[in-house]
Order: sequence, then C-alpha cells, then structure tokens
Amino acid sequence: MLAADSRTAALEAFLKQASGARDAAIRGWRRLSGGAVQECWAFEAEMRGGALDGSATLVLRTDAPTALAASRSRAQEFALLRAAFAAGVPVPEPLYCSEDAAVIGRPFFLMRWVSGVADGAAVVRSAEWDARRPKLLTELGRQLAAIHAMPVAANLAFLGEPPTDPAAARLARYREWLLQFDDPHPVAELALRWLARERRAPAQAVLCHGDFRTGNYLATHDGIAAILDWEFADWADPHEDIGWFCSKSWRFGAYDREAGGLGTREAFYRAYEAAGGRLIDPERVHYWEVAASLRWLLLALQQRDRFLKGGERSLDLALTGRRPAECEFEIIRLIDAHARGGA
Amino acid sequence: MRDLPSGPELESLAREWEERGIDGLPPKERATAAAMIERCRAIARREAAAGTDALAPIRAALAALYVGDQSKHFAQLAAEIRSGALDAPSARRDRVLALLWSLTLQKLRESNPRFLAAHGYDPGAR
Repeated sequence: MLAADSRTAALEAFLKQASGARDAAIRGWRRLSGGAVQECWAFEAEMRGGALDGSATLVLRTDAPTALAASRSRAQEFALLRAAFAAGVPVPEPLYCSEDAAVIGRPFFLMRWVSGVADGAAVVRSAEWDARRPKLLTELGRQLAAIHAMPVAANLAFLGEPPTDPAAARLARYREWLLQFDDPHPVAELALRWLARERRAPAQAVLCHGDFRTGNYLATHDGIAAILDWEFADWADPHEDIGWFCSKSWRFGAYDREAGGLGTREAFYRAYEAAGGRLIDPERVHYWEVAASLRWLLLALQQRDRFLKGGERSLDLALTGRRPAECEFEIIRLIDAHARGGA
Repeated sequence: MRDLPSGPELESLAREWEERGIDGLPPKERATAAAMIERCRAIARREAAAGTDALAPIRAALAALYVGDQSKHFAQLAAEIRSGALDAPSARRDRVLALLWSLTLQKLRESNPRFLAAHGYDPGAR
C-alpha cells in the first residue's frame, strides 16, 4: 500500500469523486488491531458537499500482503456487506469500493466506523462483560438466523450455484488445502477420513458467514453493534457456521462456555431457532466442530507459511504456526467422544 | 514432527523484533508485541529443554510400525491414514491413535502448556 502521505492524497481524490463532494480532507490514520488476513485502517474524513457531507469516521479495508486460500476479494466482500446491510443484519454501512490499484496500490473498500469492542478475549474474560454475555449470545443467535435467511441477489452471482452436497464440497476444498503443504499432517488426514465417513445426508446450502465467531463482532453494552469480516462467506450447511461459533478455538479460554465463550449451546440454539433459523441437529454441529478444528488447523498452517515462505516477519504469524497442536488435540478428542457415543 | 517455526527460528524472530525496537508502537500494540516476543522465547526455551529425547518414544513407536528410512516414517503414517487403511477399528489403528495423542501432548507441552493445564493435564508430566 502507498505511504501515508500519498495514500491520503489519493484517497481524498477518490472520496471526492465517489461521493460527489466539493472537497475532502483526511487525517488521523490508525491501523485497527486484528485482521491477520486483511488490513483495516480508520481515519477521519471532513467532507464538503456530496453524499457524505460533514465529518465522519471511516474504515478502509484492504488486502494483507499475502492472502489466504478461500479469502474473497475486497469487491466480493463489499457486495456481501451490502447484501447484509440491505437485509437488516447489523454491519458497518458499506460506502465505496475500488479495485483500481492506481488509487492506493491495492483493492479496497470503505465503510462507516462502528463503535464497539471486537477483542474476543476481553468480551469472554473481562468481568465487565459478565452480566452482558447472555444478551450478546441471544442476539448472536438471532443474527445468525437472519444471515442464514439472507436473499442472494444477482450482485452475489460470484457465489455460484449452491452445492448439492455442501459437506462434500467443503471436504474437497480442505483436501486441496492439505495437499499444498510440504510436510505431513497425520491428524489432519485422520480428520478428513473421519469427516468423509461420517458425512450425513446433504443439507440444503444457505449463505453462511463463514467466520461467525467471537472476535468477529463488535459488542457494546447495549448488544451487538456489527457483524464483521465477511471474507469467507459462502454457500454451506448452516450447521457449519454453528460448529465454527461453538468450536473450542473461539472460546478464548472459557472452554466451559461452549457457545463462543459466552454461554451455553442450548441458549444459543434456542435463540437461533426462535428467530426462524432451522432446527439445529446437535450431531451435525458435532460433525462441523471436527471440521472447524480441521479448518483452523489448515488456516494456521497457511498463516505459518506466510512466515516461513512468504517473508512476512510477523510474530503473530510465526506463533500461529505453533497452534496446530491445539486443533489436533480437539480433533482427536472429538473423534474419540463420537466413537464412545458421547457426541 | 514438531510444529514450525522451530524454537531457534522463534528465538531469532524475537531477537529481530527487539533489535528493531517496539518502543515506537502505540501502547496496546507494544504490549501485544512484547507478550508475543516473550511467548516466542518461552516456546524456544521449552523446546530446547525437551530436546530430541522428548520425541524418542514417538520415533520408537513409528519405527515399530514402519520400515526403512526413519525420516520418512511420519510421512508414511500420514499416507497410511489417507489411504483409508486405518479407518476400521484395529490394534494398529489404536497404536497409531496413541502415538498421535502422545505427540500432540508433547507439542502442547512446548507450545502451549496453559492449554494443557486448562484441560486437566499436567504440562510437566510425561
């Protein structure tokens, strides 16, 4: 991406043209935390005239230097965000998108800033949130049901046709990812074999968020302010989102609060079903939790390779390379629980 | 068999970040970077302390399952699982699962002993 000064000038010109403003001034660039896959920057925009007349805090979302497999383009994520916004799902209002590398050096989109806490560890562990977690969990159940009911219009044609067997499609993708690594991963192989053997009758695919978890929403004392990070949205079995949300990886150490580190599965399932979501089959959730641990294992290896092979000297990426053992622990434990009839 | 980057690579990265300096970062990012530097070092220390001896029982278990070049046994294990030969319950499958479980616990002792402790395992136990 361009250096700050050039980026400011280029973006001011872009904003003027996109919003129809007479003038645009940008200041206060700050990189937002999180986002190992994408970069997010907040800034203050002072606009005169046009659609954004006045002062606003905006967020620019752009590609990280190296992308992960299955991560959607910024233009596609922008279209998904617009669809969610139109459907009434709480998301930051999407404003403008550019795929023109001449503007800041990479594709990007702009959205309005939304206040809230994205830090999953804080929401799960801090006493400040103790009394508020049940409400957050209920709202998340409702919001996930709303996401799974989102209409898929023509502007989401890039999603393609829904797969007739979402689990088979997902396993094929994970096999493809696993084959990309130079080193052997027996527990990942074990998970893939188990997932192939235990596959249920195909579920009807719906639009799934793909990364619906604690850490990917903005929480406030009043509830959920926004669902973030739509880059993995895809057709899938709705239980896949639920399994990912309940996966141990996203409980931030509160392992006994099985639904996102916030509360019980039952409370989450009830809220989802009461909001019009499909009837949840706990065995399917168990299946997708094994898949979730496999997915996180594979993503961790992809992040590792950004460090090992991609030249990104990031502490976070390097340490993520040491996390597959956590996923392997969970895969073996979940498969064993199923064999013992505990799923 | 261990996850990567290796302990020495993590130690080298930690040193690189310290030399580059993190004082110019905003307070929250500085604290996060400092914690990650320490975590790299802690993993490197635990891995060095465990040494190659910690994996000797796993290598021996692999050698009992596969013949030929020892450096290829782990890949042979992955290939056997992929082939489906270990899908059905069998004594061999049980041995493989026990081996993988032991390896996973050892990797966690080095990479994330808190995770093990949170699941009721003594990270110091062998």
